[in-house]
Amino acid sequence: MEQGANYEGQPIHEPTGWWSRYVFSQDHKIIALQYISVALAIGLTGMFLSLMMRMQLGFPGLFESIDAGSYYQDVTMHGMIMVIYLLTALFLGGFGNYLIPLMLGSRDMAFPFVNMLSFWVYFLSVIILVSSFFVESGPTGAGWTLYPPQSILEGTPGGDGAGIILMLASLAVFIIAFTMGGLNYITTVLQSRAKGMTLMRMPLIIWCIFLATFLGLLAFPALLVGAIMLIFDRVLETSFFMPEIFKGGEVLDYGGGSPVLFQHLFWFFGHPEVYIIALPAFGIISELISCHARKNIFGYNMMVWALIAIAGIAFIVWAHHMYVAGMNPYLGFFFATTTLIIAIPTAIKVYNWVITLWDANIKMTVPMLYCLAFLITFLIGGLTGLFLGNVAVDVPLSDTYFVVGHFHMVMAVSPVLALYGGLYHWYPSVTGRMLDDTLGQIHFWITFVGTYLIYFPMHYIGFLGVPRRYYSNDQYDFIPQSVNDLNQFITICALIVGAAQFILLYNFVVSLYKGKEAGPNPWGACTLEWQALESPPGHGNWGEKLPVVYRWPYDYGLPGATADFVPQNVPDEQIT
Amino acid sequence: MTNITNNEERFMGLTHGQVFVYTLMTVISILFLFITNAYLFRMNFEDWNPVPIPSMLWVNTGSLVLASVGMAWAKSGAKRSSVQTIKVGLIIGGLFAVTFVTGQTLAWQELTSSGYFLTINPANTFFYLITALHAMHVIGGVAAWFYVTLKTFKRDQLILQPESIGLLGSYWHYMLLVWVLLFMLLLTT
Repeated sequence: MEQGANYEGQPIHEPTGWWSRYVFSQDHKIIALQYISVALAIGLTGMFLSLMMRMQLGFPGLFESIDAGSYYQDVTMHGMIMVIYLLTALFLGGFGNYLIPLMLGSRDMAFPFVNMLSFWVYFLSVIILVSSFFVESGPTGAGWTLYPPQSILEGTPGGDGAGIILMLASLAVFIIAFTMGGLNYITTVLQSRAKGMTLMRMPLIIWCIFLATFLGLLAFPALLVGAIMLIFDRVLETSFFMPEIFKGGEVLDYGGGSPVLFQHLFWFFGHPEVYIIALPAFGIISELISCHARKNIFGYNMMVWALIAIAGIAFIVWAHHMYVAGMNPYLGFFFATTTLIIAIPTAIKVYNWVITLWDANIKMTVPMLYCLAFLITFLIGGLTGLFLGNVAVDVPLSDTYFVVGHFHMVMAVSPVLALYGGLYHWYPSVTGRMLDDTLGQIHFWITFVGTYLIYFPMHYIGFLGVPRRYYSNDQYDFIPQSVNDLNQFITICALIVGAAQFILLYNFVVSLYKGKEAGPNPWGACTLEWQALESPPGHGNWGEKLPVVYRWPYDYGLPGATADFVPQNVPDEQIT
Repeated sequence: MTNITNNEERFMGLTHGQVFVYTLMTVISILFLFITNAYLFRMNFEDWNPVPIPSMLWVNTGSLVLASVGMAWAKSGAKRSSVQTIKVGLIIGGLFAVTFVTGQTLAWQELTSSGYFLTINPANTFFYLITALHAMHVIGGVAAWFYVTLKTFKRDQLILQPESIGLLGSYWHYMLLVWVLLFMLLLTT
């Protein structure tokens, strides 16, 4: 490997014992694994909660323990866990931590100690969240949006107990963790790139994580402000968000506040949050599609500018979540317009991925299968988003299963498909071994087909006007029996898909010991994480000297080169 | 510990610490922007009853100005490698920042003793929330100040830490700017 010259000396602190190597480690790779492990563990809990919901919807009354209260608690905790504690943490804390220093050719994050703190504070936020399952009235059942007034009032599960307080406290702690991690990602991307790694030579996933981090840093304060004010309303009975309320003919101590103010604060965070999850998924797809199709990514510059445009516009679309909150119709028109405009840079990205695939030497590896599945799923989820982005269509479809189908396709299934593709792709870099291909194919097909069988029917149920969030459909004449039959079908599919995820876990564990040796660069990728001296990379990543970068990260099929790829750290004169 | 080599691309000639602290300031600005937005939104409602500004806030503003001046002194000392100036500047900057926070608690006492309790009116709640959030960020700065000052006094001849002192100074000026804007908001509404 070509190395740079004229370096200045800098100390690197090797871990000295088991605790500093594996528990309180400051090595970005270990911290990434810690993030991934905790996020997957809490994600499994979130999946289990969704299966509980599905059991109630498909087979009402089968489990006596699921009453209306616990159903709403399951709904709320499922949503919050999946969006914040699984996807945000896993994409940025997991993939971000692992890939940023390795792909940029640096030794570690800019501030390793703060990075370690970031994980442990995240872990604390998960502990606080999980502890709400064990308090007397259980976790909050207010829905993941936590709208006041109902979220902090008696009658809502967890509303008058500690459940809502623990949820808000956990979010505040998570935001502190995210800020510590985020400041590190920003500093590392801007400051710790190897010589020659200009901003426009960075792999697209680094651009995506960088921009998603910016989105998070600018959006999470809105949630923090909302959470602090809601805690005040709940604990001190102030009235930031609480209007005058009568309960059983009795006036409560609240009055004068505005619940809509909370909605604005929540969605100012909530919509960028969609892109905090989506952008890293875009990044993973960009890397995987180019590598596994053995072709350079189409329109790199345009991809970067499209990402920047998406990140910018993501801040001016939030009120499309609030069309039915009683907003001025002109305001609705404005937000509908911005919502449709954001489809343009998004479409640029999708077209570029498709053109990258055109006439390419596509390898049908498991990561590529996930890429193709992502493209289709994201397209479908995006198109139903165009329906809901328009006020006139959104109003009748609002709060129906159409919305549930839409957002699961676009921000649950799509990112998870990208996530799985990423896990299959980078597992060899982390462990030095390949995941089992057959198990990977089985896991893929069950997950891909299964999720369609789950979420496609929800669009039709939504068209029938079936409201989301209802615990039971029993007493509503307008809901036909066919909906109940379909719900049974969806539940059975969900159980199968849920069970199939254990194939992945099994594959993870077994391949760790019995997987095929991966070698240093099993996919023939150009990016730096595969060019480290050791495989898997050791502490400090690069041995004595940092790599030097000579080219962009997608030199596949370079004319004149014998191999079908040229790594970023190979200079022109060494190409054979 | 092994010596390794390092050569990195940097953004606009900034140091790691500068990027970290400037980004942190951006995040804090956004936090106060949201709380200000919420304040301006909520104050239009009928039940809003403005809080009389405690006279102590003027004294506290003076304290924060002096803290900022002290820190600017320390910064200039760091540039000239003058240990004495750094020490005096750091002490002035830190002590007046602590005075500011103490003064804010006295201002709260002034309000509560006049019956302006936190829960009585949304204007009161916002007053306490905004001033407390700002004070917490000053306290965060004081923690960093404590760390840097301790190091400076321990090994003054060897390490003058011009970057740390410079960043601390920037944060002090920034906290003063945020406070002046918040104080103007409270005064004018």
